[in-house]
Amino acid sequence: MDDWVAELRGGRPEAAWDLCLARYRRLIFSAIRHYAQDYDDVMDIFARVCEALRADDLRRLRCYVDQPDHRARFSTWLVTVVRHLTVDWFRHRDGRRRLSTVAARLPPLQRRIFEHVFLDRRSHVEAYELIRANGTSGLTFGEFLVELRATYAVVIDGRRGRVLRELAGPPPPLPPPEAADDGEPAERRELVQQLLGSLSAQDRVALELHIVEELPAEQIARVLGLPNAKAVYNRVHRALAVLRARLAQGGLQRHDV
Amino acid sequence: MPDPDPLDALRDALGATPAPEARTPDCLDDDTVAALAAGTIDAAARVHALSHLATCPRCRHAVASVARALADPAVAREVAVAERGGRRLRYGVALSAAAGVLLLLVGPRLLDLGRPVHRAPPPTGAVPVPASPVGVVADADTLRWVAVPGADRYRVTLFDAPGAVLYETQLADTVAVLPDSLVLVPGRPYLWKVEARTGWDRWSPSELVEFSLAPLRGAPQ
Repeated sequence: MDDWVAELRGGRPEAAWDLCLARYRRLIFSAIRHYAQDYDDVMDIFARVCEALRADDLRRLRCYVDQPDHRARFSTWLVTVVRHLTVDWFRHRDGRRRLSTVAARLPPLQRRIFEHVFLDRRSHVEAYELIRANGTSGLTFGEFLVELRATYAVVIDGRRGRVLRELAGPPPPLPPPEAADDGEPAERRELVQQLLGSLSAQDRVALELHIVEELPAEQIARVLGLPNAKAVYNRVHRALAVLRARLAQGGLQRHDV
Repeated sequence: MPDPDPLDALRDALGATPAPEARTPDCLDDDTVAALAAGTIDAAARVHALSHLATCPRCRHAVASVARALADPAVAREVAVAERGGRRLRYGVALSAAAGVLLLLVGPRLLDLGRPVHRAPPPTGAVPVPASPVGVVADADTLRWVAVPGADRYRVTLFDAPGAVLYETQLADTVAVLPDSLVLVPGRPYLWKVEARTGWDRWSPSELVEFSLAPLRGAPQ
């Protein structure tokens, strides 16, 4: 049994915390630095992580220790907890204030897009509708997508880019020339969503992780329990072929998917 | 008119809505998210978890995010160090030895990090840049880096792939010659970093860089 676990089970949370922190401090810092590069951000998030782990006599740690079976090793569980706390920190007051400085160098329209998508976590479509409703009624969806992509390009390249991607999700695709027509993409999106629902859970997760999250195939294989990256590519290509065939039956062409 | 990227329509359909902030009662717990990302979940639990992931962008995004973090070399190295420490404790190796290894890895510089303080960020360009060796090299008896203006000392650390410290030294020069007693094995990956002291107890670390010695000619691959 690990020393800090023994102390925790012995009812000595302070001693348990000291031992746990001595052993996992570097791991906590490395996980925070994966998401945040700014020195002050890292230090403030570290303080927040310590506060959250120590709360209620180490309640989170006790919950983990008290589980009869663990699916994950403690170190990977800890990385997950640190990830959530880091994203939450950016999402709430102090982190939000820091992120607001990113918007200062953006042109007015991109600043509004940044606030809706990255700070308020609106979907791209919601952001578009809000901007149109607030004085930019002449903006087409295609023009909006160009500005949205430009906003992503600026903020994701910056020091806080990784965490901003965490908050807003993946960037949008480049708009095709006909994207100025607002109705067609929405219909197509709805049809694709319906067809996705007909795929098996494993196929759908493979597609989502590969196409939307852009996760490397080796990592997708680990999530899905597949032997290697090749098995992931095979699964994704098969699922795409199924979708294309069904879309063709629905009147959409190969290049739509 | 050029054809659009065939995956963009799907990406558009799948990614139009960002992950919702609120958890639902069905959302995966941290243990399951971690186990999925690390690939340690058992088959029955995976089937259940994937059926949730298929319809929950929030959990899917979390799993992808943790998987990316675990694949980050800096995080992977610390996970390996932490796990090795765990085995030492379970197998009853002396605690003092584990503490010694931890001290070597952590160094006295981080012992006060439990009490975070606000400090100004280091000035732009105040990060040392490893120059050589980087990538596959013929020889690696010397570590070189680009000087940092105002730095009065450098701390160099060489690790093997699992994260054990092979060599560490402090010096004022921008060149560190590795001792003859340190034998690097061709084809095996090594990592090193250099930290520049730019103020009182302030060290600016470089990126961790990897290198390996080119395999000897005629040696088995």
